[in-house]
Amino acid sequence: MATASDKVRRAKPMLGTFVEIELAGAAKSEMNATIDAAFEAVACVHRLMSFHERDSDVSRLNRDACLQPVGVHAWTFEVLEAAVEMHQRSNGIFDVAVAPILQAMGLLPNLRGDAPIGGNARAFDAIELMDGQTVRFRHADVRIDLGGIAKGFAVDRAIEVLRGSGATSGLVNAGGDLAVFGQEPQTAHIRHPRDPRGLICSVEVTGEALASTARRFDPFHAARTMDSAIIDPGNRKPAQGIEGATVRAHSCMIADALTKIVMIAGTDATGLLEHYHASALLVAADGDVLITPDWQHAVHLAA
Amino acid sequence: MTQWVRYTLPAAAIVSIASPAYAMQYLSIEEAQKHAFPSATHFTEVQAGRIWKAEAGGHVAGFFIFDRVIGKHLYIDYAVALTPSGAVHAVEILQYRESYGGEIRSPSWLAQFVGKTSGSSLKINGDIRNIAGATLSSTHVTEGVKRVLVAYGNRLR
Repeated sequence: MATASDKVRRAKPMLGTFVEIELAGAAKSEMNATIDAAFEAVACVHRLMSFHERDSDVSRLNRDACLQPVGVHAWTFEVLEAAVEMHQRSNGIFDVAVAPILQAMGLLPNLRGDAPIGGNARAFDAIELMDGQTVRFRHADVRIDLGGIAKGFAVDRAIEVLRGSGATSGLVNAGGDLAVFGQEPQTAHIRHPRDPRGLICSVEVTGEALASTARRFDPFHAARTMDSAIIDPGNRKPAQGIEGATVRAHSCMIADALTKIVMIAGTDATGLLEHYHASALLVAADGDVLITPDWQHAVHLAA
Repeated sequence: MTQWVRYTLPAAAIVSIASPAYAMQYLSIEEAQKHAFPSATHFTEVQAGRIWKAEAGGHVAGFFIFDRVIGKHLYIDYAVALTPSGAVHAVEILQYRESYGGEIRSPSWLAQFVGKTSGSSLKINGDIRNIAGATLSSTHVTEGVKRVLVAYGNRLR
């Protein structure tokens, strides 16, 4: 019989950040094997959806999908389905096709052979999902980056592996986007988006996911925040006005994507949050913290 | 439509929750060694506290290298397991540390950690186990792994 001390927590540098996986309530050797499989699921998502790796599904789509339908892995297709639905429901606020703008800002590299894309590149509904897990872009100059949704999906795949094991509880935290399972609530502390050295509040999560986004900062080089890496497709500029957003949802992929919408739409995102049964917390430009009413009980502000 | 609830936080409140440091211990060196080379029967120290040769039944199973890079302000301990031919077999974070609060701006506060080993007198807030929010970059560890590979990939065979 496993005891409470039978807990394994490991971390690896993956997805450009630190991915932590914890498992409890089973034999250690068994949990280590499960954690290995969960890390492998994260690595698989990275291989499929990296913008930087030449052989990823995303790179193949960016090269060829404007010319002909491109077949992709079931997981890539699933993420694209969610992205397209989110794009439509948000009237284009969520858009994985902003890669050329991120490239122009220097946030994504210009890969060999990438032609610079002009300012009118953006188009609503640029991705066509076809039968047999194939994908076609509707315009010649579409380029996608799944950075705003794939990390959450990777967390979901890892937690799925953990749930399928004999363990009683577990956690996956991919550099701040996390999901948990088990009966007991887990506490997560949320970094202050304006000063990443401070923690703004703690949140209790039970059997669900939490994703956060802040104005971009690089803690290794500067403590101050810089422009957001979230692009408002409406004006093709970094989102302004909201400092940071945290979203709670049943899936980390949905939570991850919704944080981008809250960063751009602010409190106007309520309808979408309700549709996805999600709650949100945002830090406004004036430093005030706004929380959806259904979530107050689980959020403990610093005091 | 549902109303959002607004809170105005006094600036001081943000700092008050912050403890001097957050640290998470993952695998120990021994656990990470066994995990990287499950078939190994013993580990011979090649360089004290830093490099081990993993052996299984008289042949070399690989090498295990302990290293440390500076993270945000404090050290991150990690290990790289190399195959006998010098390729990366596994990378594992062993201990992660982060500091909070205004003190870290002061060079004298930072100086107390210089040269300290993992058992340094860091005040750790044990209540903090999971940190969410803005993503931290693992670039320094990735660069560290590359350095380890350049330094030892060809030499340890």
